[in-house]
Amino acid sequence: MNVLPLRPEANTESGRRHAAAMIEIDHVSQTFQTSGRQSHLAISDISLVIEDGAFVSILGPSGCGKSTLLYIVGGFVNPTEGVAKVKGRAITGPGPDRGPVFQEFALFPWKNVMGNVMYGLLQQGVKRAEAEAQSRRLIEMVGLKGFENFYPKELSGGMKQRVAIARTLAYKPAVLLMDEPFGALDAHTRTRLQNDLLNIWERDRKTVLFVTHSVDEAVFLSDKVVVMTRAPGRIKQIVEIDLPRPRRRAELLLDPRYQKYIVDIERLIDDTGIDELHP
Amino acid sequence: MIASRALVSRSAPLLAVAGLLGIWQIAALILNTDSFPSALEAIRAVPAILTDRGDLINILASLRRMAIGLSLAVILAIPLGLMMGRSRAVASFFNPLLMVIYPVPKAALMPVIMLWLGVGDVSKTLVIFLGVSLPIIYHSFQGARAVEEKMLWSGAAMGLSAPQRMLRIVLPAALPEILTGCRTGLVLALITMVTSEMIARQSGAGNILFNALDMAQYDTVFAMIIIIGAMGIILDAAFERLRGALVKWSEPRFDIPLSFS
Repeated sequence: MNVLPLRPEANTESGRRHAAAMIEIDHVSQTFQTSGRQSHLAISDISLVIEDGAFVSILGPSGCGKSTLLYIVGGFVNPTEGVAKVKGRAITGPGPDRGPVFQEFALFPWKNVMGNVMYGLLQQGVKRAEAEAQSRRLIEMVGLKGFENFYPKELSGGMKQRVAIARTLAYKPAVLLMDEPFGALDAHTRTRLQNDLLNIWERDRKTVLFVTHSVDEAVFLSDKVVVMTRAPGRIKQIVEIDLPRPRRRAELLLDPRYQKYIVDIERLIDDTGIDELHP
Repeated sequence: MIASRALVSRSAPLLAVAGLLGIWQIAALILNTDSFPSALEAIRAVPAILTDRGDLINILASLRRMAIGLSLAVILAIPLGLMMGRSRAVASFFNPLLMVIYPVPKAALMPVIMLWLGVGDVSKTLVIFLGVSLPIIYHSFQGARAVEEKMLWSGAAMGLSAPQRMLRIVLPAALPEILTGCRTGLVLALITMVTSEMIARQSGAGNILFNALDMAQYDTVFAMIIIIGAMGIILDAAFERLRGALVKWSEPRFDIPLSFS
């Protein structure tokens, strides 16, 4: 692992370095080369600190670069400008300390549920018997006990995403990177997975970076909602969600504070000039 | 109802074979010429060939060349196709070359290859190898190109290096497509095998066929066609069994069986 020395200017930039910063995004911009040698500025000058154990959502319209930001933290995409760090070290590529969960599930279709969940553990040299025992517990935790030998093609969308979450949790990443994980699911399945994700998260409070375009999903799950402008994506405002945990949907829906957060954030989004006719 | 339908679909290939033989038999009886023996006469000549030691050695020699040519193609074409599918640089280097080679009938190269390498095993195996490689490269390329980026990212996050991702994600993910290419390759290998033996008449199944033609033994000619055809059907059916077992996790493409397996 390439350990870069901490640059002093990185500390002074944000005034002070948070003692428990898990992810630091420092003046990051991303430009993509499109066809015809044109360049497209996806995100522009984003700085953000995510504390250890925080559940942070990035909220914005499609095409605002919110997924790009997550890919940069994942190390899948290198920023054109600026630096992203995890635990103080500059990100140079993907690593098992940051586990992604994608909207497309991206399961290995030639492996059954057990094979998918153990994959990362075996890769890290965990003995097969131990990997299997750990995976079995995770599969049970995501509610798929009895489906160990099923192949992805035999599962519904919601079940696939449960497997993907278990597969990522298996190798114990410090940070969970969730890229619109429930975006492809129907409303009912989506609600159930949100509830279950919160329950799982309550157990060990991993740092989560969660990309979504759903305001109520962001408010329901998060400690902090980062509202982005449309392309090129900039941070419009960061809203702290001060709602008690553990959160229960039925209680929150009756809670005027929850309602107010949603209304406030929707107003913020309207202010960014987003309209569906001219994305 | 379902059982009877399954029975019909299972026996459909056999019915097709019987129908073809029936039409052949009737056509031969109507035309009634020496150069077109009836289906029964041709079938009657099959055991004579299959019990002749010299003929069997010839047929086995053909199969061995086919196996070697095909194996070499599989070993070289799959990695090349996969690398082309994942690397733009590799693809743009090899693509022009393959585009030029693709439409050239490989058997047309046979005279030149014979001139350089003789009429023996090496020439014929090389032609089979050339004939088989392109569809396998093409399908491996397509398969590798279609691998979901996020699947590779998931692997990278687990700590798989680039070569590991190639071997343990791209290869299995592209396997259904690769095996489709191999199936085409298998049948092409049989075709190229017979063609090469037509040109370099020294040994092999194609040699038996053309020797019989020269000697006007038409029942043997047609019996050899039946034998070579049956070899193709058996090899294809066996390969489909293997393919089905290897990629049973992937979506079924057709509900109608397209082989005898």
